[in-house]
Amino acid sequence: MKAFVTKLVDLTQKNAETIAKQWAKDVKTNTRTYTYHDSSEDKIILQAKDFYRNFQMMFFHEAPFEQAEEIFEKYAEERYREGIPLHEAVYALILMRRHIWLYAEFQSMFNTEVEHRQSVESLSRTILMFDYIMYVITRKYWKIMKLEWLAKKNTQ
Amino acid sequence: MQAYAAKLIDLIESKAENIAKQWAKDVMTHSRTPSYHSLPKDMVIEQGINFYRLFRRMSLAESPYEEAKTFSWKYAEEFYTEKIPLHEALYALILMRRNLWLYAEFQGTFFTALEKQQAVESLNRTILMFDYVSYQVTEKYQELAIGDANKRLGTIKTLLIGKGDSGKKSIYKIVLMGIFLIVACILTYYYHATLKTEGLFTHLFYIPIILASIWWGKKGVFVAVFLGALLLTGHLLFLKGMPFLGDIIRAIMFVVIGGVIGWLMEGIKKVEDLYKTITI
Repeated sequence: MKAFVTKLVDLTQKNAETIAKQWAKDVKTNTRTYTYHDSSEDKIILQAKDFYRNFQMMFFHEAPFEQAEEIFEKYAEERYREGIPLHEAVYALILMRRHIWLYAEFQSMFNTEVEHRQSVESLSRTILMFDYIMYVITRKYWKIMKLEWLAKKNTQ
Repeated sequence: MQAYAAKLIDLIESKAENIAKQWAKDVMTHSRTPSYHSLPKDMVIEQGINFYRLFRRMSLAESPYEEAKTFSWKYAEEFYTEKIPLHEALYALILMRRNLWLYAEFQGTFFTALEKQQAVESLNRTILMFDYVSYQVTEKYQELAIGDANKRLGTIKTLLIGKGDSGKKSIYKIVLMGIFLIVACILTYYYHATLKTEGLFTHLFYIPIILASIWWGKKGVFVAVFLGALLLTGHLLFLKGMPFLGDIIRAIMFVVIGGVIGWLMEGIKKVEDLYKTITI
């Protein structure tokens, strides 16, 4: 598996800053990520760079789901505290994934026949990782909401 | 819609029921979707079929995003009603996509080099569709949760006379409470000084006591304290020689009722605040 997909993740890692900047530009103007529009650009670029770094770690981990739980629950908590609504956090993630792929396409990474086969593998693996991340983040958001509810109930 | 995705769409459309059945089997046993395990199988399969048929409609629609809503909103509403947590509803969608892809692979839909290229395009197309649906389902779930809370808090909100304690509404509450307290003073004087009786008029005091606690939470208890003191003072001044115990109990009850309602209202306000943070 690793041989097929290394190329994409390496590219993402090496160009994390460029991809993060493109993502930030997108998320700051996209109508489905309205809350990000007023965020500081530097802050969200850093956020995306961290995300891509963590994503690489998770990508090659033996137990990616457990790794996602470890890393991205914290990410969810931070976004929640920043006041990002869940549907916007989800869409920002979708845009992160899209920008990885757009960058790879822009760099004409998969041109030959063999590369096309690799691209299917890469894409499938990337999607799987993002599926895990999305599940973990959504679950954490709802857990925090529930905990806050209970905490408030108990302090009454 | 490009020709390359047509092959996958044809397959999905003709085998929607088969794929939906596979998905239902998966989602009803998967460890990340435990809430689906006890749902009626037919209902789950129906949602799967609806989803897989959406592909064709989206490919023909002028605005695929708008077309996706016809499925997403229904899906969210149905599973929200069944009390399925959002992360499970999203994971079920992920499994829908996975089952679709597994089926296409199993059928050898993309075999040759050209077909492999088509596979990438088809995969991109299905991902885009799932992105729309995931976003819309998440948004709808939140909307439903807020709607639910608003419905439950509706009556109380009316009593709260809008939100916040600022501006005209705040003055309106103070003026209204002032009128209630003046009327309470007149009634106390009339019953104690003129009629020389304890009377039943004290039951009317609960109106300003309850309203004050609803409007100002625990602080509203001061109105109950004021009315309790008014009752006891009136008794001391005008009803000398009459048993005092009845009015003492009434005064204590004013404070207890005012305190309890104020305490409950602060809890409700916190729940309301929580929903505001969810909706932002």
